[in-house]
Amino acid sequence: MHTAPTDQLPRLQSKDDFLAFQKQAQEQWDGLWNGDRTVVSVGIGSSSIAKGALDVLAACRNELGDSAIVRETSGNGAFWMEPWIEVKRPNEPPVLYGPLSTDDVPGVLAGARDDLTVGVRGDEPYKSARPLKEHPFFKDQHPILTRNAGLIDPNSIEEAIAQGAYQGYFKVLFEMTEDEAIQEVTTANVRGRGGGGFPAGIKWASGRKAKATPKFVICNSHEGEPNVYKDRQLHECDPHRILEGILIACIACGAERGYNYIGGEYPLAIARFRKAVEDAERIGLIGHNILGTGKNVAFRLRTGGGAYICGEASALMYSVMGVRGQPRTKPPRSVEEGVWKRPTVANNTETLACVPDIITRGGEWFASIGTEKSKGTKLMTVQGPMARCGVVEVDMGMTLRKLLFDIFGGMKEGYKFKGVQTGGVSSGPVTEKELDIPVDFDSLTPVGGMLGSGGWVIFDETTCVVDFARYLTEFSRYESCSKCVPCRLGNPALVEIVDRIRLGRGSEDDITLIKRTAKHVIELSLCGLGQVAPVPLEGMINVFEDEFRAHVVDHVCPTGHCPIAAREPALAAAD
Amino acid sequence: MAQAETRHPAHPVPAPYTGRTAIDLDVVREIMSHFHYDDFEEAQELILSALQEVNEHFGWVSYEAAEIVAEALGTTVNRVYALLTFYADFRTEPRGVHHLLVCHGVSCYVLGSQALVQHIRDHYGIGDGETTADEQLSLQVVNGCLGVCDWSPVVKLDDSYSGHQTPESLTALINRAIAGKQAKEESNGAHSAD
Ligand SMILES: Cc1cc2nc3c(=O)[nH]c(=O)nc-3n(C[C@H](O)[C@H](O)[C@H](O)COP(=O)(O)O)c2cc1C
Ligand code: FES
Repeated sequence: MHTAPTDQLPRLQSKDDFLAFQKQAQEQWDGLWNGDRTVVSVGIGSSSIAKGALDVLAACRNELGDSAIVRETSGNGAFWMEPWIEVKRPNEPPVLYGPLSTDDVPGVLAGARDDLTVGVRGDEPYKSARPLKEHPFFKDQHPILTRNAGLIDPNSIEEAIAQGAYQGYFKVLFEMTEDEAIQEVTTANVRGRGGGGFPAGIKWASGRKAKATPKFVICNSHEGEPNVYKDRQLHECDPHRILEGILIACIACGAERGYNYIGGEYPLAIARFRKAVEDAERIGLIGHNILGTGKNVAFRLRTGGGAYICGEASALMYSVMGVRGQPRTKPPRSVEEGVWKRPTVANNTETLACVPDIITRGGEWFASIGTEKSKGTKLMTVQGPMARCGVVEVDMGMTLRKLLFDIFGGMKEGYKFKGVQTGGVSSGPVTEKELDIPVDFDSLTPVGGMLGSGGWVIFDETTCVVDFARYLTEFSRYESCSKCVPCRLGNPALVEIVDRIRLGRGSEDDITLIKRTAKHVIELSLCGLGQVAPVPLEGMINVFEDEFRAHVVDHVCPTGHCPIAAREPALAAAD
Repeated sequence: MAQAETRHPAHPVPAPYTGRTAIDLDVVREIMSHFHYDDFEEAQELILSALQEVNEHFGWVSYEAAEIVAEALGTTVNRVYALLTFYADFRTEPRGVHHLLVCHGVSCYVLGSQALVQHIRDHYGIGDGETTADEQLSLQVVNGCLGVCDWSPVVKLDDSYSGHQTPESLTALINRAIAGKQAKEESNGAHSAD
């Protein structure tokens, strides 16, 4: 199967055209895997590119020429095995090898490097290789949104369709009413994956009810948080799933145009998504009179310029409109007045990526996964000194312990666990004793943590929490849009106080001062950035009170990793 | 470390270093000729994308380039500057011959990126967004994640990523890049467009 350039794709004009195209794509897909040529797939994602995967791809092409099919696929979330290649020889199952360098390629292709085997794609072991899905990293995952990761070529609409893309869209176009589609999403009880956890069904229903026209749907793929990259992974591995989710939302809410706003830092995500839109437009899934139904949906891809605040929905819309991304007060909410003052339904990428399966398999099915109040699966990213890093998809409700210690393999050798910063820059840390709490939208709140967008940062014994708290507050200070005073002035003040402590000039009053300042910033700021900016700092103080006290009372840093430690003893004595 | 020679959408090949000389405005005009719009609203939506392309191509956006963008999209240069100075990706000053991104995402922070930034400040006298006096090196501290967290702390020097950096390895990396480029220029004649 080859990835057709956009201009060689046919234009589909009717329901039957689509079904025929789907059948053909399916046959091509089956032919690819059952043919008499070896198929070599190379996992290309932004993390594997950084590690030289493009060179590995080139080396495979050089080595094999026309004697085998060498194709590009996406990364599979397992950073620790990158760069990897998958070799499928005729009448053998596909076997994955990694991490490898260009020098390893000839040996692997000659079948002489069993030491680099990571596993077999499939259910049965083959020779000495175990199925990849039995590996601890994959064993407890539940890939729904990421099931095409490392499988299809993300540049190929045919491969996506062969794997079921646009079936949900097809159903919404031909087999159900708009209200029924919204009902499925409501039954699924899928809650916003962008951090807020607001039920998407309710948002869609208000979008549908809004009177003003035209209406828009916007997918929030900004992801400016310094600790997550799940939306990037979704774009890189299955752009058509996101596009399908947006298109379904457009039809269901009666929106005439869909948008996707991607952060400019993600060139590969943008390139793959752009190709997806061009292909879908070309075959007639976007545009006028889609598949002869008389329905019209337009689409626009917009890119950002690296400002965290543009993830906030109203700022995002300003950014789309070509002005500075600064949030505004609500009401009106964006479903009443959004892009170009029109009703706009805004959802996170992952939320929208859940939609195609909700439509094809039913809201009940989706609601059967996860916990009582948090349905479905969740993409999680883990950072820090861990044995493995990457993106995984697990059922809501898995304990942190299982996630961190089973899937990600616990701490890297030589590092000792101290805590997990949850919710990016919007929440506090949790420690060892809270690791058995299930991860869902609500369970972590009582202990001062948060699911947020599913990014977890593990820090070890050598991390000074005062310094870490400064880092997190400094991030918010830097990213503040400067529109409202409490956030613009309060955050620098907090950073200054923490700096004082860090430099060994703090006193116990400073802790009180932090709490007072934090209260102002939290209660008076205009948007979600300011309203949570001091929370990580407060959380660190609550959880690691002794360490803060050591800094302000004894003027020492127990970990020895903040500027106090580097001070001349004479200077410390002089204070 | 990993050197990607292959052209790929994820690897836009930056334009040759142009130093303090002005940006070639014909190239900017050519970039802008790809932007089409039906109405003023759509034109405004395109400003950011246009700036992104210019910035990616030259590494910065000059005043004259901003004027062309404004004109092509029917807006004012003030408006364009409002965006250039708000969004962190854009630069209104040229980059150095070598451009260093230091990841300051949480993972890299936990594993020591702060020391790298401090080291660059101590050793080369530049902070975020600044360029050394000899124009050899410019620094951008990325307040996000470069996406290779298992290599933390990560830097990206010109086209290639390097992980597990220490102040010492970073100096070596930078020195190698500077020396390599100079050697190339001497053998090719100065200012060859490599
Ligand atoms: C400072 C700030 C940053 C945000 N960043 C993001 C983001 O990067 N991605 C995202 O989807 N939502 C982000 N949000 C949440 C959005 O405002 C919005 O709630 C969300 O996109 C709605 O989609 P959902 O209901 O599907 O989660 C952010 C909110 C705030 C206050
Ligand atoms: S935090 Fe630096 S690469 Fe992810």
